[in-house]
Amino acid sequence: MALAEFLAELESLAADAEGAFAAAANIDALEEARVEFLGAKAGRLKAVQKGMGKVDKADKPVAGQKLNGVKQAVEAAFEVARERLEGGGASAAEPIDVTLPGKQVRLGRLHPVTQTIREMKDIMGRLGFSAVEGPEIEDDWHNFEALNIPLSHPARDPLENFYLSTAGAAVASEDDSPLLLRSQTSTVQIRVMERMIAEAPAGEQPPVRIISLGRVYRPDTADATHYPMFHQIEGLLVDRGVTMADLKSVLRLFCQSYFANSVGGEEVHVRFRTSFFPFTEPSVEVDMNWQGGWMEMGGAGMVDPNVLRAVGYDPEQVTGFAFGLGVERICMRQHNIVDIRDLYTNDVRFLEQF
Amino acid sequence: MIVSEKWLADYVDLSMPQEELTDRLTISGLNLEGLEEVGGDTAIDLEVTSNRPDCLGHVGVAREVAVLFGSELKKPDPQPKATGAAIDSLASVELKSPELCPRYTARLIRGVKVGPSPEWLAERLRTLGIAVINNVVDITNYVMMECAQPLHAFDYAKLAGGRIVVRESRPGEKFTAINHQEYELAAGTCVIADAERAVALAGVMGGADTEVSDATVDVLIEAADFEALSVRRTARRLNLHSPSSYRFERGVDPEGIDWASRRCCELILELAGGELAEGVLDEGSEPAGRDPIKLRFPEIERVLGISVPKKKVRKILTDLGCEETHECDHSVKAVPPSWRADLTREIDLVEEVARIHGYDQIPEDAGVRMVTSSRSQEDRVLDEVRGVMVAGGFCEAMTISTVEPEWVGVFRGWSSADPLATSTSVLRRANCLRQSLLPSLLAARRTNETLSNRAIELFEVAKVYLPEASGLPAEKRMLGVTSGGGLLELKGLVEALVARLAPAEPLSFEPHEDPLFAPGRGAKVLLGGELVGYLGQVASGALDTFELRGETSVAEIDLGPLVERARLTRTADRLSPYPPVTRDLNVVFDESAAWSDVERIVVAEGGELIESVDFQEEWRDAEKLGAGKKSLLFSVQLRSIEGTLTGERCDGVRDAIVSALGKQLGGELRA
Repeated sequence: MALAEFLAELESLAADAEGAFAAAANIDALEEARVEFLGAKAGRLKAVQKGMGKVDKADKPVAGQKLNGVKQAVEAAFEVARERLEGGGASAAEPIDVTLPGKQVRLGRLHPVTQTIREMKDIMGRLGFSAVEGPEIEDDWHNFEALNIPLSHPARDPLENFYLSTAGAAVASEDDSPLLLRSQTSTVQIRVMERMIAEAPAGEQPPVRIISLGRVYRPDTADATHYPMFHQIEGLLVDRGVTMADLKSVLRLFCQSYFANSVGGEEVHVRFRTSFFPFTEPSVEVDMNWQGGWMEMGGAGMVDPNVLRAVGYDPEQVTGFAFGLGVERICMRQHNIVDIRDLYTNDVRFLEQF
Repeated sequence: MIVSEKWLADYVDLSMPQEELTDRLTISGLNLEGLEEVGGDTAIDLEVTSNRPDCLGHVGVAREVAVLFGSELKKPDPQPKATGAAIDSLASVELKSPELCPRYTARLIRGVKVGPSPEWLAERLRTLGIAVINNVVDITNYVMMECAQPLHAFDYAKLAGGRIVVRESRPGEKFTAINHQEYELAAGTCVIADAERAVALAGVMGGADTEVSDATVDVLIEAADFEALSVRRTARRLNLHSPSSYRFERGVDPEGIDWASRRCCELILELAGGELAEGVLDEGSEPAGRDPIKLRFPEIERVLGISVPKKKVRKILTDLGCEETHECDHSVKAVPPSWRADLTREIDLVEEVARIHGYDQIPEDAGVRMVTSSRSQEDRVLDEVRGVMVAGGFCEAMTISTVEPEWVGVFRGWSSADPLATSTSVLRRANCLRQSLLPSLLAARRTNETLSNRAIELFEVAKVYLPEASGLPAEKRMLGVTSGGGLLELKGLVEALVARLAPAEPLSFEPHEDPLFAPGRGAKVLLGGELVGYLGQVASGALDTFELRGETSVAEIDLGPLVERARLTRTADRLSPYPPVTRDLNVVFDESAAWSDVERIVVAEGGELIESVDFQEEWRDAEKLGAGKKSLLFSVQLRSIEGTLTGERCDGVRDAIVSALGKQLGGELRA
C-alpha cells in the first residue's frame, strides 16, 4: 500500500471519529462511537493500524508517527466528549431543576431591640460618646438622692418602684438604704461621674462623654404601649462650656443619622418643649420633625447643679447636658411594631422578621 | 388640667389664633394633650408638670399666656362684705398638728340659700368635667379651678360645738366620706374634726355628715394648706384621689389661701346670699418671706449657648411675678412669687428665661467639639457572641428579668441563696429576680410550641442576679440557649463560641448531674479550669414543669470570664508549607474511658506534630468487642513546619500514641 493511501485513510478516520464523538448526545451514543473507532478488537483505528504492515518499509517511520498523532487526537476528542457528557465527574449527572428550593441555611436573627441599640451606639460612638453599662439593681443614692430626687418626691413612692426584699426581709445597701430595680439609666451617669472624679487628680474636672443603656423597670401594667421592663439610652456630656445649643445640635445629628433613610433626604430638625425632671434644669422634651408633624423622642436638659455637686463636680466650672430616649418606642416606630408586648413574647415567627 | 377657653378669657386677652396659643403653651411648658368642643366652649387639655401646681388653676394658666403674649393679667380682687357677728363668737379653729397643716383659715356665712348654680357657672364646671352639685359646693370647686387652692364648705350646723380641730386620727377611728364609703383611718392621718369626730380627711375629701345639702343654712369655708406627703399618703392608702389631693400633693400658694377664701365667700354671697361673719379664723404660721435669687447675666449664655438681652431677662422675671430687688451690669436679684415654690436657685431663673424667650431661639448647629470614643471589651465580645449565635441559626430572645417564685428552683447552678423579690410583681406572678436565664427560655419555648412553631432555637444575653451577703447583688451577664437539637450539637456551638473568642484557652467539659438535666446528660463547662457554664439535655420532669412536648438541650454560659479571657486582636501563626499526613486509629477501650482523656493522651504523645485530632465515631458490639467495651475511631493529622513527614516517622508517632493509650487507659488497637 502506498503511504499516501494509508495517510488518507487515517485522515478520514480522524475526521469521522471526531465528528461522531462531538455528535454523541448522551453517554450511550458516545460509547457506541468509541467502540466503532477505538474498539480494541474491531475498531476502525485497529483496522487501519493493521494496514500499516502493507506500507513500504521505508515509509513506516512516517506512517507510524502519523498513526500515533491521529490516535492521540481521536482519544483526546473522546475525552472531551466524555467530559462534556459527564460534567467531568465519574458518573453521569442528571440535569437539575434550578427552580427547586435551595438547601436551607438557617441563620438566626438579632432581637429588634438589640438592633436598635446597636445602631444608636454606633451613631453616638461616631459623635464621640462611649457606651457604658451599670448595675440594674441600685441603691437609694444612685437612683434618687444623687439625681436630686428628694425623699418627699413622688418618684420615690413604693408604688412607683420595685423595691427589693429577700425571703420577706427588705434588703439594703451598705449605707442601709433600700435596694430597688433602677427606674432609669441615669444611675450609670452618677456612677461614671463619681469614678471620673475619684480617679482624677484632686480639683480636676475631667470631661465625661458617655451613653449609658440597658434595662429599666417601672410598675406599669402591661398593655400595647407599656411594659414594666424596657430599655433606655441616655447620653451625658460634662465639660467646660457645654451648652443647651450643644445638646440640641448633638440630638439633631443623632436623629439625622438614625432616621436618614426614613425621612428620605428631608432635613431633620429637633424641637425643645419645656418639661420637668429633677436631675436636669432646664428640662425639655425633645421632638423631631416626622411626616409633617413632630415625633416625641425623649427627655433632655442641662445637668442640674445639684447633681454635679453630688458627684463632686463644680457647677461653676463645668456644665453638662443629658438626654434619655426610650429604645422600644423608637424601635417600634421604625419596624412598624404596634404592641410592645410582642417584643417580649419571643414568638420565633416575630423574631425572624427582623 | 382642663381649661375652659371662655373662662380663661376672663383673665387674659385670647384674640390670638387658638393654634398659636396652644403651640406657645406647649413649647413653654403646658403641653397640649387635646382640644374638645363642649357646648359653646372649648376644653383645652394641658399637661401640667409636677413642679407647676400654680398652673392647676385658670389664673395660673392665664398668667403664662399673659407673659408669653405680653398682655395684661386681669385677676379679680375679692372684697366680700362682712356684715355679721364676729366669727370668734361663733366658731373656733384649733390646730393640733401644725406639721401636717401649716395653716388653716375659716370663714362663716350664715343664711345661705342652697340651690342650683347659675348656668354660666355650671357650664364652666361641665366643660371641665366636674359634676355640678349645688351652688355652694360648685363655688368651692369653681374657685379651686380658678386659683388652684382647694376649698371645703362644711354645714356649720352639723359641726359639733362649732369647732374645727385639725389633728391626727385616733387609733381605729372611722370616717364616712361624701362618697358614703366608710374608711378606717391609719394612725397619724390628718383629719379635720369637730368637737366629737372627724368631719373631713384633710386635703383629700369631706365627710358625709357635714356636707352641704339643700337643708344647709350656714356654711363654714375652709381654706388651708396641708402637708404634701401626708395628703399623698392618705390618698394612696385609701385610694381616694381627688382634685383637691392632687393639688395639695404638689403644693398650694401659701399667700393665695386668703384670696381663695375671700373669693369663695364673695361668690357665695353673690350667688347664694347669706351674711358673712366678721373676720377670719386663721391658725398656723404666715408664710415666711423669701430671699431674693441672684441671676448673673453671663450664666444665661454659659448654660443656654445664646445670650438674651438684659432688659428682656428682667422683663421676663418681673412678668412672671418676681420682684426685682437689685439690678446692675452683671446681675439681677429677684424674689420669686409665692406661687412659684419651684424657683429657688439661679439655674431655675435661667430656665424661666429660656422657656419664655423660647427654645426655638437655641441653634441646632453648634460646632460640638470632636473627640474619639472607645468601645469596651465587653461590648465587642457581646457583639461576637451574638454573631456566633446568629450564624448558628439561633434567634435572639428577650425575656423579663423576673420569674415566678417556683422557677427559681428549676436551676440552681449559680446560687443557692433566696432570690431577691420585688415588692410588687413585675409581671403577673413574676416577682423573683432570676438566677438563671434557662427557666425564662424554657417558658419562651413553650410559647412557641403552643404556636406550633417548628424550629425553636433561641438564645438570650441578659443578667442574672445573685444575692450577696450585703450590699448590691452580683449581676452576671449570661448567655442562655435552648435548642431543639441534640446535646452534642449544642456543645459544638459552645466550642465554636469559645474558639471564636478565646481559642488559646483550654475548654473542657465535666459530667454534671442536676435536676434540670436528664441523668448522665448534663455537663459543666470549664474554661481554663474555671466553671463558666452548664450544658445539658432537659430532664423529662422539667419538660413537664414547662409543659414542653419536644426534647430540648439548654446551655448557660457566664460571659464574664469569656469577656475577660477573650483575645479579640489575633496574631498570625507561621503555617507549614508541607503536606499533612493522616493516620486513622480504631482503639477499643473500657466503657469508662472518656474521649477527653483519649484526646489529651494523643495530643501529649503526638507533641507539636499534631495538627488535629478528629473524632470519627464510637461503637459498641458485645460480640465483636466484648461486653463493657467500646471502640473509638478517630484520625490524627500530623504536619511539620520543618519538612515533609516520612511514613516511618508518622507510624512511629501513631505507635507511641497507641502504646500510651494502652498503658494509661487500657486501650487496644483494633485496626
